Amino acid sequence: MKFLYSDTQDYVDPNYDFLNDRNKIGHKRYWDDQYAHELMDPAPYDGLLVSMSAVRQAEGVAKSKVRYSTSEEQRMLRDGARKFLRFGGPKFKDRMLMGDCGAFAYVEHPKPAYSPMEVMEFYADAGFTHGCSPDHIIFECDTANPSRSEMSKQVGDRYDITLKNAHEFLKLTKEEDWPFEPLGPIQGWSPQSMAEAAVELEKMGYRYLAVGGLVPLKVEVIHEVLQALRRAIKPETDIHLLGFAKADKIHEFTGYGVTSFDSTSPLLAAFKDAKKNYYLENPNGGLDYYTAVRIPQAIENTRLVRGIKEGRFSAEALQKMEAQALDAMRAYHRTGMAIDSTLDAITEYQHFLVKGNVGGDEEEAKALKKQRELIRRTLEEKPWQRCGCDICKQAGVEVIIFRASNRNKRRGMHNLGVYHQHVQRTLNKKK
Amino acid sequence: MTVYRFKAIRANQAPGHEVFSFAAAPKDVLAFSEIERVGRDDQGHLKGFQRHQVASHIKDIRDYLAREDALLPNAVIVAFVEGADVKVKDLGDGIVEVKINAAAEKPGFVVDGQQRLSALAGLDKPGFQVFVSALVCRDYNELRQQFVLINNTRPLPKTLIYELLPTVEGLPERFTARKFAARIVDRLNFDPNSSLRGEIRQHTNPKGVLSDTAMQKLVSNSAADGAIREFIKHDDYEQRAFQLVSEFFWATREIYASEWDGMAPKTSRLKHGAGIVAMGFVMELLYSASGATARDDFRAGLASLKQYTSWTSGSWKFGEFDERLWNGIQNTPSDIDLLANYLVRKVKRQLRKNSPV
Repeated sequence: MKFLYSDTQDYVDPNYDFLNDRNKIGHKRYWDDQYAHELMDPAPYDGLLVSMSAVRQAEGVAKSKVRYSTSEEQRMLRDGARKFLRFGGPKFKDRMLMGDCGAFAYVEHPKPAYSPMEVMEFYADAGFTHGCSPDHIIFECDTANPSRSEMSKQVGDRYDITLKNAHEFLKLTKEEDWPFEPLGPIQGWSPQSMAEAAVELEKMGYRYLAVGGLVPLKVEVIHEVLQALRRAIKPETDIHLLGFAKADKIHEFTGYGVTSFDSTSPLLAAFKDAKKNYYLENPNGGLDYYTAVRIPQAIENTRLVRGIKEGRFSAEALQKMEAQALDAMRAYHRTGMAIDSTLDAITEYQHFLVKGNVGGDEEEAKALKKQRELIRRTLEEKPWQRCGCDICKQAGVEVIIFRASNRNKRRGMHNLGVYHQHVQRTLNKKK
Repeated sequence: MTVYRFKAIRANQAPGHEVFSFAAAPKDVLAFSEIERVGRDDQGHLKGFQRHQVASHIKDIRDYLAREDALLPNAVIVAFVEGADVKVKDLGDGIVEVKINAAAEKPGFVVDGQQRLSALAGLDKPGFQVFVSALVCRDYNELRQQFVLINNTRPLPKTLIYELLPTVEGLPERFTARKFAARIVDRLNFDPNSSLRGEIRQHTNPKGVLSDTAMQKLVSNSAADGAIREFIKHDDYEQRAFQLVSEFFWATREIYASEWDGMAPKTSRLKHGAGIVAMGFVMELLYSASGATARDDFRAGLASLKQYTSWTSGSWKFGEFDERLWNGIQNTPSDIDLLANYLVRKVKRQLRKNSPV
């Protein structure tokens, strides 16, 4: 089972100066930055997935900060995605490079943002090894398997659009002489309807199916879907799970003959999860999670800047506390001493992150105490010192500090590496 | 030290007001004056006046001031309110001695130069002094009035800044990419051999019709992700960059003569910001697909595109359900993206047809 990471321009500056919090002078974004597969050996994934919606603007495609600029998009189409992502050479040339449409970006619209023709050309131009037909997400999934007439018209329309596009897409791919392996996306409102869609796609000629709409589903529902699918389709048909958010439950899904899946959750957890920011594999083969230590930038963090603008916080005082918290963290990393005063310095600064939240002083005190307990565990167990990955070796304590892109993305890349090994170990055990 | 003494020069201005100037270490300035940021007290009354710090601005200033040859000739402005513990003693000949007592509280307020002071405070630069221009205000409201008057200046027009850029050294990092683009655009506008001579609207060429920012965008796109980036390894890369763009537009003017000559952005989308930037990607494609650098190399590709363009009339057929009037394209990132994709796809298809693999 291959683990693909969905690219959202995740690279960091290998020469980032953590002490002065800045890029090297003359740093050129992208050109001087490195992707996770350039920074880490082994690479922390088996392949990359690129969503067209992250690259091409279109009516109805939600705006995203990570979207490619027009000039980056055009370069990707001229040079090919492999060169653009620097995911080629003898080391990576055989790894999967999958394209999909990023259907989440246009989910609110009645129709997908791109036509099968446009998508096929996009994949062919960018030189993907695999490409998924433009689908339209159905969010409902009812395990009671209701009939189509019991669902809203919109659900049925989306089901039809997805299959009609798949038909057209396959025809166009054939005409272009199979420049990539086409994937037929499965959308449905129930395990049963998804199985029916899968059979339709097989009949069209698809050998590789992608299961969509999994993100909001509970683990048990995903099981039911996969069971229904496997009962209905040929054993040799490949399955890809699109956007598999239940990454840490992957060991439960090894029995369905899943060929590949993609997930961003290990990277996103580094800066989106409230507590589980840093992954480490434990001796039992499971994953342990740690809280990263929040020391945001005093005059850049939105919350703190708001406080400054409203005149509630003093910028000078915040900057002083920020420096003290950073110094304390680094001293603790070097010496392993003075855990309580380190926690004090961090908590004093973090106080300003919760100030003004609903709930008043009592809630603030509670939130701070909780955070302090979580950080204490991180400090006591020092997971960043126990990890030997390239990221942690190079960044040291900075990787556990929750602060701006260069630290947070590094921590995310570390998580990808830990997760990738976890998947491989899990699969080996099952063999 | 909590009492600061400076020898200053005094200027005669309004009667009853003290205005004087002296040199001081940045950390001393911050020790006797507050940066009082604007905010609201518990009753909702306005307090303070300064805006918040801008981290990126401070970093820019710090990068510059860290250099050994860095100069900061303009003064930071500090105001005192009458009654604060500041004594001014006349030494004759326009010279005064100023005694500032910061023992109990900081008597001064930074009215202008807070970002510079913050930048310097974070730098290890012993012996570096700044000029301080100080004034004594009657009350806090007059101080606020001074703050507004001093900071209510009009920034230089962007077009003038861009035109000056190529000749200015030692500017912050974020200007350097722009500087290169600005220099190429300058040459395109004033070089006698340029296809775009006199066509670009700049501060000193108000009769030009092409937008200078669109031309800069074309150049900087190419420098970031295209042909010009590849030229960087050559010593004469600036010449090559100028040559490439100029040659491309020689061919464009020739093939699209009726849509170019005498036209303006309003009458031809080819001369509009969106058209210029999008055509830049056609230039890139022809360069990367067939190594085009001279006008002769660009002609065939541009001619094959002609049947699909509607620069001055008719409509664009971007997709099955996406048809727009010729002038329905605006200078927005999404319209430029759409137009660029359309043009590039059409040229690509023609290239495939003409040279089947």
